[in-house]
Amino acid sequence: MRGKYSKFIMLSPAILVLLITTTYPLIYALVISLRNWQLTRSPEPGDWVGLDNYIQAFSDSNFINSVQVTFLFTLLSVSLSIGIGLAIALLVQKKSLVNTILKTLLIFPFAVSPTLKGFSWRFMLNSDYGLFDHLVKAVFPFTKDIIWLSDPFWAMFGLAMSETWGWAPLIALMFVGALGTISPEITEAARLDGASGYQVFYHITLPLLRPVILIALLLKTIFSLKMFDQVVTMTGGGPGNSTQTFNYFIYQVGFTNLDMGYASALAIMLVVFLSIIAYLYVKLLLGKQA
Amino acid sequence: MNVAVKPVEKFRSNVAVNRFRGKDLLAGTGYWVGVVLLLGFILLPIFWIALTSFKTYQQAFTLDVFFQPILDNYKTIFDDPLTFGPKIVNSLVVGVGTVLIAIPLGMMAAYAFSRFHFRGSNVLLVWVLATQFIPPVVIIIPFFNLFRTIGLVDTLIGLIILDLSIVLPYVTWMVKGYIDSLPVEVEEAALVDGCTDIGILWRITFPLVMPGVIVAAVFGFIACWNEFLFALIIGNRDAQTLQVGFYQTASGPKGIQWELMSATGMIVMVPILILSLLIRKHFVGGLTMGAVK
Repeated sequence: MRGKYSKFIMLSPAILVLLITTTYPLIYALVISLRNWQLTRSPEPGDWVGLDNYIQAFSDSNFINSVQVTFLFTLLSVSLSIGIGLAIALLVQKKSLVNTILKTLLIFPFAVSPTLKGFSWRFMLNSDYGLFDHLVKAVFPFTKDIIWLSDPFWAMFGLAMSETWGWAPLIALMFVGALGTISPEITEAARLDGASGYQVFYHITLPLLRPVILIALLLKTIFSLKMFDQVVTMTGGGPGNSTQTFNYFIYQVGFTNLDMGYASALAIMLVVFLSIIAYLYVKLLLGKQA
Repeated sequence: MNVAVKPVEKFRSNVAVNRFRGKDLLAGTGYWVGVVLLLGFILLPIFWIALTSFKTYQQAFTLDVFFQPILDNYKTIFDDPLTFGPKIVNSLVVGVGTVLIAIPLGMMAAYAFSRFHFRGSNVLLVWVLATQFIPPVVIIIPFFNLFRTIGLVDTLIGLIILDLSIVLPYVTWMVKGYIDSLPVEVEEAALVDGCTDIGILWRITFPLVMPGVIVAAVFGFIACWNEFLFALIIGNRDAQTLQVGFYQTASGPKGIQWELMSATGMIVMVPILILSLLIRKHFVGGLTMGAVK
């Protein structure tokens, strides 16, 4: 493999496939986003309309709504995933048989397909026969009149919880790995000097976890912005359009309304936004490996 | 010296233990409450799907835990009109097909990225990594129109091409990580011993990174098996995959039939739970692309 061209021979098949499957669609979407193309009227792309498709978005209340919904969903699911993930990590960090079993079980929710996640949480939150519905209402009586998925806020919260169910355990595992690298002598020394558990957590554990928290934050944000499957199987974007995320909105514009030009413009906007976060993530990733 | 220090340490820790005993008891109770809450949170949705899959239509609307379990649901979903069998086959073909293409291409590219540095290699590498973050909805719009023109809508080949956009960058990046951790000296030693270039790759490098390749392959397969958006748009009839069949089974004319949703859900879920147990040690590293080990 020391031949001059061998590296290019080894690289080119993968590069070619990636060019076709990822870069070609991106350029195609960019071109289509500048044209008027309603599939219901014509099988071929129509006139060039400049930035009309992009401008249209800003006067489209559905677009504004979906951006707000996605923002709220991302905020909720990221903070819940990291908060609950941290709590789980602190719970299972000590080495013991029970904790080893728990850590193994933690990978299960993430492996469950997002479509099933959506259906199962819809089932669990059903106000007549949902298991979580009954448990939550038994513990918190003030929630007894809530019909989770018929209420705009609680439907959003339920959607975020279904996402958290998959992610919090995984993020917990990321944190457990990082907690393992914190030398017990540091926390012991602080304890002997009279620091309370809370002080140890706030002044020692949390600062040392910061790099991992940042990685989890960016990764979860990227996945939250791309979230689609559970919206279809859990809420269908409802009630009303209160859980219509940006991805789901693009899907509807493209494949229900069959407006390819507008859908492409929306998709490009999502790419631009995701690129910013992905850029930060990649920088962090490469920095760590160097 | 040591002898002199030891009693002091022992004394110190005894004081610490005495001071914290009351707190420890409280912390111990708190721990077990936490364990129960955690188990309930992560396992109840899975357990409830498993339980409901053995219930009748009426029982599915109750919270009964003790009932006469039936296997009818598992028969119903394979019978006409749900016919789950071909959908399982489709998902297997798409998953295995994608992985079989992605692994050799990804391994070769990973080796080149890991062992050679040339002008632009870093840019190319970042590009491979960045393609992972392109949202699937962006990929599907052009391909839906292209596939309509060339007749690849509703074919498994179409789905394999689309899934490669997810799996190939991932496999390349993962395997590169494993080759990076393999010392170059191993290859150089084989070269000195008279092994040919291809021989080194075939007999030394690839066998040594095989465990990593298997992990990447399993992740790739899980990604294809769980993939929904592409399959929903492209594979509407003949090329219907498990996830799409699952979605349609569950949202039939009678509304959601929870007992059938659960039985199909079990088929969707159980193989992946088993696979994820096999790669459990690599789960976090795999999903964060090596950012967290």
